[in-house]
Order: sequence, then structure tokens, then C-alpha cells
Amino acid sequence: MTAGIMAGRWWLSAASRAAWFSCLWLVLAGADIGDIPAATAAVVAATWTSLRLLEPSTSRRSLRAILQLVFFFLVHSIVAGADVARRALDPRLPLRPGFVAYPTRLPRGLRRNVFTTLTSLLPGTVPTGERDGQLFYHCLDIEQPVLAELAAEEAALVRALYNE
Amino acid sequence: MSLVRDIMTIAAVSAGAFFFLAGTVGLLRFPDTLTRLHALTKADNLGLGLIVVGLLPQAGSLRDGLKLVSIWLLVMLAGATVSQLIARNARQDETAK
Amino acid sequence: MNDFLTAAVGFVLAMLALGLVSILRGPGDTDRMMAAQLIGTGGIAVLLLLGTVARVPAAVDVALTLALLATFASIAFVKKGLSSLEANGTEPTGEE
Repeated sequence: MTAGIMAGRWWLSAASRAAWFSCLWLVLAGADIGDIPAATAAVVAATWTSLRLLEPSTSRRSLRAILQLVFFFLVHSIVAGADVARRALDPRLPLRPGFVAYPTRLPRGLRRNVFTTLTSLLPGTVPTGERDGQLFYHCLDIEQPVLAELAAEEAALVRALYNE
Repeated sequence: MSLVRDIMTIAAVSAGAFFFLAGTVGLLRFPDTLTRLHALTKADNLGLGLIVVGLLPQAGSLRDGLKLVSIWLLVMLAGATVSQLIARNARQDETAK
Repeated sequence: MNDFLTAAVGFVLAMLALGLVSILRGPGDTDRMMAAQLIGTGGIAVLLLLGTVARVPAAVDVALTLALLATFASIAFVKKGLSSLEANGTEPTGEE
């Protein structure tokens, strides 16, 4: 890949991020001519920060898989809330808490962090860091098929964002 | 039309309030820090989401609705990030003891 | 409609108060930090409801600010906890 194409791609993702941040500004602060200097400063700062922290990616992204991931996320957070509510309100307090180690294939850093953030909303699991390259999850009920659910979630994430 | 909107609001806000109730009951009944964290993050996130859904029909304009939804998304993302950090901290507290 | 939403505000506030009691009773710093998270969700729900009941659009801006502050407070707390652990060399933390 030549340097020219790289630079072009960088500018493209900078422009699209700036456009997103401008939309966010319009939603949060409203449209007002007098706001233009502040809005410009905020959008430039946000775009610069996002490019520093999250470099433009070269992975192929599938819109359909991303929508599926968002759908998963919503369904899981509803199921997770209902699951906690059921356990909390049950007079017998059905909890079998414990830790489960999940060996992930995602590389350390951003991708693994995205995965733990997604899975912190899965029913009954909270990621609590890692040890020996394995992710440690705290579960409300260790008899549930936690490992299978985590593997399904990882596959969905890879399909949506990290398909190389 | 307004009646339909009000019914939607009442249903979703009631459901949201129910999940806040469940989250608090979980906080009071669950035995240790990590299980209480489950109650706090999962139930309250859903409670807030349902309340936002319930307020959408009452929003004055499209922008107001989008603003409510962006606040909810921010809280969800922040909750998901922070809950695992708190969990990591809690586990280290336990192993350090 | 407003009566219902006002009742919802009262109910969520009561839940928030009860939750705070249980958290403040909790043994460790982590339990206390969860209070910030609780306010981060419950408090925002109350503000959004109030903004609609009282037709005060500014309440929604307050909710947005509260969401940001609660997040940064929690991250600052966790960062502090982790760096003291790193200094003690208790355990590798999985940070890059």
C-alpha cells in the first residue's frame, strides 16, 4: 500500500468522524449560529482525540454483522436485567456465584477491551480482568453455559468488526 | 393518538421503575461485592433504558428524543466500561486479603 | 400523565435512597464507589423524568453532565486503586 492511499484513508476517516461529532453536537447543544466557534473547537478536539486513541482500522466491516451485534447487545442487556431481577426477587435467592476462566483468541489491547465491554452486559457475567492470558469472569450462576455464550459473542464480534 | 402515547409511557416507565426496585433489592440481599455489582449494573441499566423509552413519546421534538437516546447510550457504554473496572478492583481486593 | 411521572420520580428516588444505604453499609471502598454508579443511573433517570414533568429542558443537560462526572469519578477511583496495586507488585493487572 502506498503512502498516498494511506494518507487518503486517514483523511477519509478523520472527515467521517468529524461529521459524526458534528451531528452529536447538533443533538446535544442544538443548532445556533452563535455556537459555531465553540462547536468547531469541540469537534476538532474530539476528532483529534479519537484519532489519537483509536487509529483508523483496515479491517473489513460488515454492516449487517454490526447491526446483528447491536441487536445482540440490546437483547442481552434485557435478558441480563430480567435475570438479575428474577434472582433478586426470588425468596430463595438462587445464586451460585463463582469465577470462570475464558481463553479468548482476541489479541490484547483494544479488541479484547471491546470484547470485555460487550460481555459485561451478558446475563450473569462480569469480566474481572485477566490472568495467564485468560479472561476471568465472575458469574452469578456458574452452572449456566457461560463459556458457550462467551464463545458465541466472540464469534459475533469478529464477524462484525474484525473480519480480516 | 395522545392516549396511545400515554399508555406507552406508563407501561415503559412502570417497567423501568420495576427494574430499579429489583436492582435495589439485589443490592440489599446479595451476599458480596461482586454479586451486588451485578445487581447494580444490569438491573439499573435496563431500568434507565426503559424509562428513556417511556419518555420518548413525550419528547417535544426529534432532537429531544435523540438527546435522550444519546444520554442513555453514553450511560450504557460508561456502565459497561466502569463495571468491569470496579469488578477487577473488587477481585484484587479479595485476593489481597 | 404528570401525576404518574411525578409518582415515578418519587419511587425511583426512594429506590436510590435504599440502594445508597446498602452501599454505605458495605465494607470496602469498592462498595462505596458503587454509590457513584448508582447515582449515575438512578439520578439520571430522576432528572430525565423531572425534565419531562416540569418541562425544564435544562434538567436533561444536567443529566448528561452527571453521566460524564459519574463515569470519570469511577475511572479515577479504579485508576488510583490499580496504580497502588502495581506499586506493591501484588499482581499484574492486564494493562498494556
